[in-house]
Amino acid sequence: MRVTEIPVEGIPYDQLKVEKIPAAPAYAPRDPELVAAADRALVVNPDRTCMPLGAMWAVLGVHRAIPFVQGAQGCTTYVRYTFCRIFKEPATIATASFHEDAAVFGGRRNLVEGLRNLAVRYRPEVIGVVTTCSSEIIGDDMVSFIKAARQNLREELGAEAADRIAVVLINTPSFAGSHVEGYNRAARAFVETLAMARNTSSNRVNIIPGLLYPGDIREIKHLLREMGIEATILFDISDTLDAPLEPPQQIPYYPPGGTRLAEIREMGNACATFALQADAGGSGARWLERKFGIPAVAGPVPVGVAATDDLLQHLSRFTGRDVPAALRAERGRLVDAMADTFHHTMMKRVAVFGDPDTVAGVTRFVCELGMTPVAVAAGTASKRFAQEVEAAFAAYRELFLDTPKVFNGGDLFEFEEYLKTLPRLDLIIGNSKGVDIARELDVPLVRVGFPVYDRFGYQKRPIVGYRGAELLLYEIVNAMLDHRYPDDRTQQL
Amino acid sequence: MEALPCLPGCGAPTIPGEVSSRACPYYGARWLLALVKGALHLVHAPVGCAYYGGSVRGKAYRMLSTALDEKEIIFGSEAKLARAIREAVRLFPEAGAIFVYGCCAAGLTGTDIDGICTAARRRTGRPVVPVGCAGFAGTSQGDGHAIAAAALVRFLVGRAPPDTAAPYDVNVLGEFNNGGDLGEIEDLLGRLGLRVRCAFTGKADITALAGAHHARLNLVHCRRTGGPLAEAMAKEYGIPHLPVNFFGLAATAASLRETAARFGRERMAEEIIRAATTEAAPVLESVRRHVTGLRVGLYFGASRVGMMAAAFRELGMDVVFAGAQFGLAEDYAAAGAHMTVGGRLKDDASQWQLEDFLLRERPDLFVGGTRERFLAHKYGVPFMVFPQKGKPYAGFNGFVNFARDIVKALRAPVWQFIPGRWAHVLGD
Repeated sequence: MRVTEIPVEGIPYDQLKVEKIPAAPAYAPRDPELVAAADRALVVNPDRTCMPLGAMWAVLGVHRAIPFVQGAQGCTTYVRYTFCRIFKEPATIATASFHEDAAVFGGRRNLVEGLRNLAVRYRPEVIGVVTTCSSEIIGDDMVSFIKAARQNLREELGAEAADRIAVVLINTPSFAGSHVEGYNRAARAFVETLAMARNTSSNRVNIIPGLLYPGDIREIKHLLREMGIEATILFDISDTLDAPLEPPQQIPYYPPGGTRLAEIREMGNACATFALQADAGGSGARWLERKFGIPAVAGPVPVGVAATDDLLQHLSRFTGRDVPAALRAERGRLVDAMADTFHHTMMKRVAVFGDPDTVAGVTRFVCELGMTPVAVAAGTASKRFAQEVEAAFAAYRELFLDTPKVFNGGDLFEFEEYLKTLPRLDLIIGNSKGVDIARELDVPLVRVGFPVYDRFGYQKRPIVGYRGAELLLYEIVNAMLDHRYPDDRTQQL
Repeated sequence: MEALPCLPGCGAPTIPGEVSSRACPYYGARWLLALVKGALHLVHAPVGCAYYGGSVRGKAYRMLSTALDEKEIIFGSEAKLARAIREAVRLFPEAGAIFVYGCCAAGLTGTDIDGICTAARRRTGRPVVPVGCAGFAGTSQGDGHAIAAAALVRFLVGRAPPDTAAPYDVNVLGEFNNGGDLGEIEDLLGRLGLRVRCAFTGKADITALAGAHHARLNLVHCRRTGGPLAEAMAKEYGIPHLPVNFFGLAATAASLRETAARFGRERMAEEIIRAATTEAAPVLESVRRHVTGLRVGLYFGASRVGMMAAAFRELGMDVVFAGAQFGLAEDYAAAGAHMTVGGRLKDDASQWQLEDFLLRERPDLFVGGTRERFLAHKYGVPFMVFPQKGKPYAGFNGFVNFARDIVKALRAPVWQFIPGRWAHVLGD
């Protein structure tokens, strides 16, 4: 059955007044030949950034770890800015400080001296060496440089102290992929460099969360705790990038928490690896599977009912633990909230954009809410993304008012121009880069994913798990209510 | 105040392995050019540079990128750049100019950006401005400021036909209109009967830039960024320049006097100064009661560190640390002149050095940018963001805002809840 007419407050849907989307006075129709990103050499308002950011994000989730960026200072500074703005936390990232001499003679001196200075001054336990477009273009032989740096460290600090510092090389040539791939490569580099197996069976699981916020990771930990499952969360930013204010008594400052080096070494003994975001972290899980035979589950990110059910069932299957009553109750409360709000969400037209894993997860959830995803855009092109959203569409297509348009890769300009051609849109879900689009179209924006830098607290509020989905649901409904009834104090919901 | 004997070395490269707050020349170029209205900003690099560049100066702008991929890095990216410029003009025909930023990848692969821009200029009939600002082409963002300033003077300033109907026009150089600073400055100058023709680059559009050389005087606010512009314009168009400082009552008054003297309006200036100082006096008096003798550390981007040190001193605070990511020797000299004996001056302070200062010196207030803010908070030190957002600090009214913000930062009840901190500030 295809639904064409849904009574909304007694009026058939197709008789509702359809408002024309107001365009700003400065808006001029653009050259139609060049609206599609695929037809252009030009990217306008990119919806993805370069690889090193993802790798630095990952390294900051390890206990007493500092990323060392083999490149010019901007590569470090821009990412520090971005993290500070998102997480409202200091981000300690060291620079190799490339100048003209490095561009001419290569970055060997920068790496050898840099690692030495970093180790002596900041005393990290782990250094994640992150390459950039410049070091990759000049062809720095990072493996041999790191070997030389290690030798140098042993001479200076003594073998024992030097060998306590783990150095992980993450190759992230900026031109070859986005921040999602950067995180993915970091996950693989860490397990490849550090994970070992002792052939002892273990009930622990590995979780590679992907580009999820501290609030999300806390929610994942809550699910695991309720299930009674021990886990290693590789790149646990929940405490490192959301640390309490308790003035440190000594320098340098290291936030509490983060994944311990010993835990990462143990990852080869787990009973399963869950990469919650297949594109960001999946390759680490697959490497563990190939190397140690640990089953890998890559995605989907547990946003919404079905995906969270999925995760819990998989967890249950691998560990033999049942889903406890407390989590069933959380699920029940989410479903209850969906029942209480469906009249606000049904048949609402929504556009979703951001990183592929997050967008796929949110898209499935809005389908569960009965909304029509008219356009979904992943800034980073991904085969997996296309499959996941198509699967969600297939399950809910009969409810859709329009055929969804999928942008796999592409930029925000293309996305915005497409939304302008639609008759009506109720909601945009995406990151802070969508503020201008939402304003231009006069549509509310629900902020989700990377990056959210223009509101407080979003990094602490989960969207995963049943409780996260409930919070996201409220966010969605209230955004639309705020937009439609901004001053109405008598509305009884 | 005794001047400090030793000034930090400036312009030295950052030590590899340090956690530095410095950025790259591309950042500096973006900082200077981001607010030029009516221009397109095309970044010739992998996509990240444009992505980050879009949030420079706290706002989102339309950012264009050639988003170089592996293929173009290997086989060359000149055809893609030429095509991207063509497409940019077709998509946004209203653009008055295009800035083409060449970043690390373009610099290392040897892309002829200048040549492509020259060809594009001819074809599109508008300035297509090459800004070669590879991240390794300098020691800090300051070098990017210089590159961008040179590009402005070479390609945009002076294109408008002669115009003699503006005997009271001035430019303000090195003024970025943070938090509306420029509004205050314009207002003060307006009361002297002067008009700000173009502010580089807080209020600069393509037309204003084209006619900027008709101004009779260039007021240089930020010396690091405005200085090279002023010299270039003096050489090219013979426009005299005057260093000014609108942070602090005394400095604003002095700047107004000197500016007025150039136009024979001394009496008007005295009246403005008298009225404004009388108005500000009661607020500042009450602020002084709160802050006199408290110790403040300064660490921020450009070289306004000297001006800010004077402003804090004017309120009776002790400046015990002053640093900039890329200062000039004369700015450190100016800062040093307003500092407590034993205070520290530091160029390109690393995170380690800042932490050392925060932990050992336990300053009452720290002033700086986003990256230092959360670090200071972790040490329980009240923080004030500079450049500020939302309200002006320049001029007489701005100084009152500034003073009030200091009190707000110091007196926020949150500091009471941090174990063992701030008892001495709160008076017991």
